[in-house]
Amino acid sequence: MLLDIKELNVGYGDIQVLWDINLQVKEGQVVALVGANGAGKSTLLKTISGLLKPYNGSIIFQGEDITSMPSKEIVAKGIIQVPEGRRLFPGMTVEENLMMGAFRRKESKNIKPELAKVYKIFPRLKERRQQKTGSLSGGEQQMCAFARGLMGNPKLIIIDEMSLGLAPLIVDDLIDNVKEINRQGTSVLLVEQDVQLALDNSHYGYVLSTGKVQMQGNSLELLRNQEIKEIYLGL
Amino acid sequence: MEKKKLQYALIGGFILLIVVLFPLVSNNFIIRFGTDILMFAIMASAWNIIGGYTGYASFGNVVFFGIGGYITAILMEKAGMHFAVAYLAAGFGAALFAVLIGLPVLRLHGHYFAIATLGVAEAMKALVQNLEITEGNSGIYLPMLDLSIKGQYYFFFYMMLGTLILTLLLTYLVLNAKLGYSLIAIREDEDAANSVGINTTLSKTIAFALSGFFTGLAGSIYAYQQAFLKPGPAFSVQTTVKMIVMAVFGGMGKLFGPLIGAFSIEIISETLSNYFLVAHTLFFGTVVILAIVFTPKGLIDMITQRKFGISYFLENIREHRI
Repeated sequence: MLLDIKELNVGYGDIQVLWDINLQVKEGQVVALVGANGAGKSTLLKTISGLLKPYNGSIIFQGEDITSMPSKEIVAKGIIQVPEGRRLFPGMTVEENLMMGAFRRKESKNIKPELAKVYKIFPRLKERRQQKTGSLSGGEQQMCAFARGLMGNPKLIIIDEMSLGLAPLIVDDLIDNVKEINRQGTSVLLVEQDVQLALDNSHYGYVLSTGKVQMQGNSLELLRNQEIKEIYLGL
Repeated sequence: MEKKKLQYALIGGFILLIVVLFPLVSNNFIIRFGTDILMFAIMASAWNIIGGYTGYASFGNVVFFGIGGYITAILMEKAGMHFAVAYLAAGFGAALFAVLIGLPVLRLHGHYFAIATLGVAEAMKALVQNLEITEGNSGIYLPMLDLSIKGQYYFFFYMMLGTLILTLLLTYLVLNAKLGYSLIAIREDEDAANSVGINTTLSKTIAFALSGFFTGLAGSIYAYQQAFLKPGPAFSVQTTVKMIVMAVFGGMGKLFGPLIGAFSIEIISETLSNYFLVAHTLFFGTVVILAIVFTPKGLIDMITQRKFGISYFLENIREHRI
């Protein structure tokens, strides 16, 4: 088990948002976390990355309890987020942004090959390496955010709302990138509002609603589930 | 690329040579004026580290200037130490203060940070006004520099020049190291900087300490030059405002921006006060407003982009939606 979340209760002050969350990511998997606005997805991500302390429950990563670690140590352990809205450094070039992704890494000699590897997955970024990221298109920015995440050599990459505001064709390309990253051995937690997209491209899925895990299971089975079809897919 | 670098180095060396030789052919008034410009160039460049590169607009940087000055005064007058010792102590003392005050204050962002730093400077002024060791509101005297009048002018001019070169050199080295990138990342998006694993608290604190260190050195030289220090002028808000205006006017977040800002602002303000004795601050304010509207990226952007036409100004106005 790579990531094992047990009985997690989280909230802001007195207002509880997440109730008894259990979620697991196995090594090599793409796991989808889907749910509507306000379901608690972002709160869960904040808790995983150490920005929010849970009331109780635990987050175990590779057998180690990371529940109350500061975020920079969690990053160093290998959980890296590709944040919603990309959050690039707009005044820096593509390559500088990618290098920032490798900021925590001590072995600087490995960074150059890593960069080459990332450019191989995203050839478009190589073309634009000297361009400021503020002047990239939305899809390219999302690629860059991805690539920056990969530069940190993650064991688990968490991708938050990747499809937000992007054209379907570009989203298809990005999903191919996610699969490629997964094939190369990185586990992925795909957090999405687009239920169809997420379940189509993952092994296992969790459906979050009003702060609770309402359903979970094999992604294909979830897609066939009548309730999900009605509520989320409008079929 | 290499040829361009050589070109820059030659131009830079030439300007430096002129500045170094400048006092030898000038009268005392002009040397004194040059010393003032250099002092503000140090302080604006130091402000640039925290305000320009890191994006934390400190409105209390004068506190480091005052602390540097008072450390020098106390060590020389009360402890009888040599200026060289007092000078270094002033820099390190101000940097230490920056660390202590930065740890809580750098958790604030934007306006809150600005107000908090303003408060720190005012509180320090009040403290110094009431302490016995600083001799309160009546002010503290420093021993005079034992040189001829001309020699004194030279000494302070070259001290300021040396300190300015040190400031720019260290800033340049820091910025091309990892720390520089983390500071710029913090300015661009602090949450994202955190998410790639940058220790933002540490980086910000180092930036603040560096800013304090150089400002403290400037304060030390200033105190020795004046041979007398009072809390009011030493901790004046106006000094901070001047640093900020110079940094913005010349170009924030650029190595030589504040330097150019200090030169041009001092010369403009001096010229204006020559022609309009009473209303010169009015005209000065107008010049600053026009500069911010037309060249928000500072004079240095105009120089490096080699754009001087109307279209450049219009482009700026469009881009910044004024």
